[in-house]
Order: sequence, then structure tokens, then C-alpha cells
Amino acid sequence: MATEGQTEILESFGQVNKTAGRLFQYLLQTATAFGIIVLAFLLLFVTNDAIQPLTADPGWHLTFFLTLVVPTLAVGTYVYRRNRDALVFGVMVVGLLVVSLMFSGGAALVLIDIVQPDTWAGISLAFLVPAGLVVGLQRYSRQLPFLVRFGTAVVLFYASLLGVPGPLGALVGVSQVLPNTVDIAPSLLSGVPEWLLVVGFLGVPIALGVGAYFRSVHGTEAGRSAAGVAVLATVAGGLLGPLVGVDPLPATTIAAVAVGPTGAYAVGGGISDPDVREGLLVAGALVGGALVGALAVETVGFVGPQAWVDYQFLTSAHSRNAIDAGLYPAIGGSILLMVTVAVLSFPVGVGAAVYLEEYAPENRFKRFVDVNISNLAGVPSVVYGLLGLGVFVTYLGQPTGTVAIGGATLGLLILPIVIISSREAIRSVPNEQRQASYGMGATKWQTVRNVVLPNAFPGILTGTILALGRAIGETAPLIMIGAPSVVFSLPTEFTAKASAMPLQVFAWASLFASEEFYTQAVPAGVVVLVAVLLAMNSVAIVLRNRYQRD
Amino acid sequence: MSEQNTEEEADPSNEEMVIQTDVSESVEESAPRGETGTVIRSEGINVYYNDDQALSDISLEIPENRVTAMIGPSGCGKSTFLRCINRMNDLVDAARVEGDLYLRGKNVYDDDVDPVALRRRVGMVFQKPNPFPKSIYDNVAYGLEIQDKEGDYDDIVEESLRRAALWGEVKDQLDESGLDLSGGQQQRLCIARAIAPDPEVILMDEPASALDPIATSKIENLISDLAKEYTVVIVTHNMQQAARISDKTAVFLTGGELAEFGDTKGIFEDPESKRVEEYITGKFG
Repeated sequence: MATEGQTEILESFGQVNKTAGRLFQYLLQTATAFGIIVLAFLLLFVTNDAIQPLTADPGWHLTFFLTLVVPTLAVGTYVYRRNRDALVFGVMVVGLLVVSLMFSGGAALVLIDIVQPDTWAGISLAFLVPAGLVVGLQRYSRQLPFLVRFGTAVVLFYASLLGVPGPLGALVGVSQVLPNTVDIAPSLLSGVPEWLLVVGFLGVPIALGVGAYFRSVHGTEAGRSAAGVAVLATVAGGLLGPLVGVDPLPATTIAAVAVGPTGAYAVGGGISDPDVREGLLVAGALVGGALVGALAVETVGFVGPQAWVDYQFLTSAHSRNAIDAGLYPAIGGSILLMVTVAVLSFPVGVGAAVYLEEYAPENRFKRFVDVNISNLAGVPSVVYGLLGLGVFVTYLGQPTGTVAIGGATLGLLILPIVIISSREAIRSVPNEQRQASYGMGATKWQTVRNVVLPNAFPGILTGTILALGRAIGETAPLIMIGAPSVVFSLPTEFTAKASAMPLQVFAWASLFASEEFYTQAVPAGVVVLVAVLLAMNSVAIVLRNRYQRD
Repeated sequence: MSEQNTEEEADPSNEEMVIQTDVSESVEESAPRGETGTVIRSEGINVYYNDDQALSDISLEIPENRVTAMIGPSGCGKSTFLRCINRMNDLVDAARVEGDLYLRGKNVYDDDVDPVALRRRVGMVFQKPNPFPKSIYDNVAYGLEIQDKEGDYDDIVEESLRRAALWGEVKDQLDESGLDLSGGQQQRLCIARAIAPDPEVILMDEPASALDPIATSKIENLISDLAKEYTVVIVTHNMQQAARISDKTAVFLTGGELAEFGDTKGIFEDPESKRVEEYITGKFG
């Protein structure tokens, strides 16, 4: 169209009609916003009931506004302007501290009331001793045939966990000659103070984990220092706890689970990456502001909010009076249930996923299983409760409502979810990695063990944690298997009856329905349940983000 | 040899590795070497993917301590043939191999042959660098560990990295992840990983096709060095590359047939068949 070698100048390119697309986009936005707003409103409402911030003195609010909110906002804005990553790092430190404090509370609860430290030490030793022997055997006698090594490992673990000759001997009428390690350990360790046992068997393993993490991120040297810092923090917790009025046992536990890892993360991250060091200012402003605020409020005598979620609520059992009611046995029950669920569903689920992805031949049977696992994931939880009741109680004759039965039923419930998410993680391991391994002359087992599982592990862990998050909120299956709604003491063994957090909340809302329980205990229970759930999910989210980036 | 090589590789200023593109010149340079014994002999290999025939009746002999190149257009089956040698095709459900392939006189498709044991004698380097997400050390030691090799792993890892001309670049970061290296370094790491357990044959499936020219020329120099001790079979779609580094060349053409096999010099200067000449001179492919 150009005329005489002169390029024509266009007035405009015209317009294309985009009304339908824009309308569609607005509809989608509305739908998304609706869901989020409704949920946020509900949570806000419940939190308001549970915490009751408006009952506090105005002076209390003013104090915290001045000591906590203003400095944090100021420091946060300053750091954000200079380096965004630093702010993220600072917030991560605080988040880690909060989440790990919650976990340390759970760990302390377990160590004080469920598994005594000497029993815990016994259990750890019962696994550590044979594991150490087996590793030594692997290293020094590679030429031993596999079956010999495997047999030795089985015998060692059996003897350590169950004693000689153990239950097999009991079957044929031979009495126990050597007791198992779990039984021996308490008498061997009787002179050692409890908090030192916690340092040895909780603090040191966690410190080793922290060290391994730092070694993988920042190298060997950083790993060693991080592990050292974590152990020192744990010991310091046990020594300094009594000075500030905390018993050595909970002080050590909190130091081991929360202070040590958070400290190592904060110090390690700040040292290895000077760019994000300023983020620690944000963390300092938040934590320091909260402490200063609390101190100031106490000195002046301002009254804080009459929160229903308080120390008393977290540490006492159910009561007829809503004001005295607490969630302690239900928290313990939920923890024990989750441990049972994890121990049962993780190996079975991951095993099934590995089989289906790596070993199963492509045939009709596999397709049938594929479809039905997806179906099982969608079966209502009350049906699983019925299954648990039918199989474990009626058929196997177990007592109703115990930790073992509840855990097994919830384990069945989340098994399909664990299998599906684990398969997803295994499938996302690049096929080139498998090819490389096979090309080196690796067997299928070596490839699965050395290449597939290590690469898929973060994904598997994420999926399992999210599945556990579903299990911790389930009420219906527990009701079906006859778990008691109200328990006044913590279950101390797997055959003890246990309640769970959602069940306790449900009981308050149904059996004890009264104005008081509705407005006090129920919201408090819901807030604790949601907080625990969010803490678990945050671990999963951090894991996922971290490994997606790499 | 390895010492010198390391120095060369470690020196970043040494960029004068000219990328030769002139076919005839490079053929001139590679002086003909004496005949050596046969390591691999294939007789009438046919490969089918479901009902589609990917290779038809391939028979050839691959000499020891020489570089044998497989060239041909896309989809001609050259990679498929490479994967017949270490039975990687066994891992593909749809693939079916017929015919005989002898490695040092033993038919690898005999019933009593364990493909895993076979692959321990035949190393493989893939098209896309695929180091494991482990440390550089663990990557190289992987084959030693899974094969339960005797010996001092530290020494073997160092020696393998030297042979792969990578030692000078990574000796201070053996603890770091193999994935942190550049593409060319990753591929040399994969070569080090393949030679660490000391295989008899090294198969390379277009090892330089994902790399830039400088990394490519490093890999090419490396292949020529490796041929002093190993039998190397390399698949490439780059004819100049085949002409530069190989002693023997097999030309596969569409339909999975072996059009010509012989000394590289002969193939490139005086191909017997019209179709091979057309392919080499770029008329198609």
C-alpha cells in the first residue's frame, strides 16, 4: 500500500473487543476474593472471641503500639528499602522462632507427661546402638554377602528393641534372658539429671540435623559451627532455665527445639550472607519490642486482654466451668495420634508410591489401582471411621477409642493422600537422573535408593505433612471408633484412651453447649487447633518453596 | 599427560582452541593410525518400537582404542544403536531388539547376560549433562560406590577428574553440588563419572550438542585423549565434529539403515554411495 517509496503513516491500529475476556477476569477475581474474605472473616471473628483484645486497658494497647508496632514498622521499612531479601530473612527468623516455640511446647508436654526422659533415652539408644553396629559392619566388611549383613542387622535390632529371646522366645516358652535396651537404659542412666538426657537425646540429634542443613547450604565449616551453637544453646537452656524460674526439663526442651535451631539460623545466615544481615534488625525489633512492651505493661500495671487462650487453657483439663476448662489432654492426645498416624502411614504410603511409580508393570491391574487410589482419597472420613470400627474393634476385638486404633484409622484415611503426593514427588524426579544411574551400571534398587528417593524426599515430606494436617482436624472417624470426647489425663501408652483437639471442641459445642462454652472454650479451642495446623503447614510450605527454587 | 592437560584447562587465557570447520583439512591432520582389534561386533541388529522399525539389519565392527562416530539425520536410529550396545533399550517398554551384538566375543543379548553387569563395563555419557544433585566428589564416586570398587576413592576421583580435564577447575570445591557448574563443566563431570569405574567402552550420545563452541572444543580434545585408553563410540549430528575426532565413521540414513561404514577419511573424502555423498555435502539431512 505504500505509495511512491514513501512509508504511509498509520493513524491508529484500531481496537479489538475485549469485553468478554475482561468480564470473565472480574468474575474470577470475585470468586477468589469471596472465598478468601469469608474465611478471613470467620477466623477474625473466632480470634476476637478467643483473645478479646478490646478488654485490655487502652494503656496496654498504647504501650505495645509504641514499643512493638512503631519500631518494627520503622525498621521494617528501612530494611525493605535497602534490601528486600534482608526483610524476608528477618521475618523468616521470627517465623521460625514462633513455629519452633510451638513445637517445643509440644515436645516439652510429651517429655513431661507422656514419655519420661529416661524412657526416651532408652528408645533412642535401642535404635542407635544396633544402627551404629550395622553401619560399622557395612564399612569394614563390604565383602560379606548381602544376606549375612541383612540378617545381622535384623538380629541386632530385634535384640536391642525386644531383648533376648524376646517375644519369639515367649512363643515357645523360653523366658527372657537379656532385657531389651529400653528397659535397661533407665537403670544405667539413673544418676544423670533429666535435663542432661534431653540434651543428649533430643538436643544433640537436632543439632546434628541443623549442622547437616548448614553443611549442605554453606559448607562443612558452617555446619560444624551451627551444630556447636545449637548444642551450646541447649546446655545453656538447662543451666539458665532455673535462674528465670523455668524448670530445667522444659527449659532444655525449649532451648533444644526452638532457641538452638533459630539461633543457628539467625547467626549462620547473618554471617554467611552479609547482604541480609540487616534483616536481623527486624527480628530484633519484633522480639525486643514484645519483651520491652511486656515488661513495661507489668511495671505500670496495665491490664492485658482477657484472652481465653492462655497458659491455664493450654495446661489444664476439661472442667464443668468454661472458665477453668482447658485443652491439655486433647493436645497430648492429638500429638500421640499424629505420631501414630505418621509412623503407620508414611512407610506404607511411600512404599506403595515407590512400587507403583518405579516397579509396577503397565497393565490393567495398575490402572485399576491408579483409579481406585484417587477414589479412596475422596471417600468421606466418616466411612473410614466405620471401617476402623468394623476392622479394629469388632473384628480384631480391640478396645474402643485408644490411641492405636485412632491412629490406625486416621492413618488409613490419609494413606491415599500420602500415596498420591509421594507419587507426584517421585514422578517429578527427572528421567535423565534415572538414565544416568542405570547407565553407570546401577541396579533398580540402587537407583531408587541413591537417586530417586533423595530427590523426591522433600516433596514426599511436604505431601505427608499436608496430609497430617488433614488428619489432625478430623472428628468424625474418632467419634465412630468411640474415642472419648473428654479425657482428664494424658494418655501414656498406645493402648490408652485418648481424645483429640477437634473432638474436645466438638464436645464443648454439643455435650456442654452453654453460652459460656460457646463464647469462651470453643473459640479458644478453635484458635489453638488452627494455630497448630498453620504451624505444621508452614513447615510444608517452607520445604516446598526451598526445594522448588533449587 | 593429565598434568599438562590440567594446566591448559585451568588457564582461562588459553582460548586459542580454534574451532575447526574445514572438513578436509581436519581429516588431513588426523594421521591414520594402525589397525586394532575389534571390541564390538554387531550382526544383523534390528530394533522395533512397537511395530515401527527403527534399525534394520545393522552389522559393523568397532575397533579398540579408537573413536568411532555415528552420524546421520534426525531419527535415523544412531542413538538407538548406541543404546543397543549397553542394553539401555531394555528400559524402554516399547523397544524390541533382534540380532546379535558381541562385546569382546560375548553376545550381550544372550539369556545369561545381566544388563546391569554389562553396563558396568560400558560407560555412557548423555546428550544433556545430567550430574546428580550431589557433591562433585559424590558424583564421580557414584559408580565406584554402586559397583563396590576396591581402592582409594579419593585417588580415583582425582585421577578421573584430571582425565576429564576438570580437576584444575574444581579441586577446591569438591564438596559443592555438581549442579552449580557450567554446562560444559557438567558434561566433563559426567565424563569423569563415566570413566571413574574404568569401563572398557565409553558411549557418548551427542555429548556436545547442548554446549557452546568453546565447551564443545574442550570436550572434543578430551575425547581424542580418552581414545588412547578407551574405546569411544560417539553419536553426533555434527559432521565436522565426526571428521575432526573420529577414526571410523558409520553413516546412518533415514529408515534406520547403515548406509556406509569405514575409515573417517574415506567416508568424507570419497564416499561410495551417492546418498551418503549428498548427506555429507549437505544436500539433505
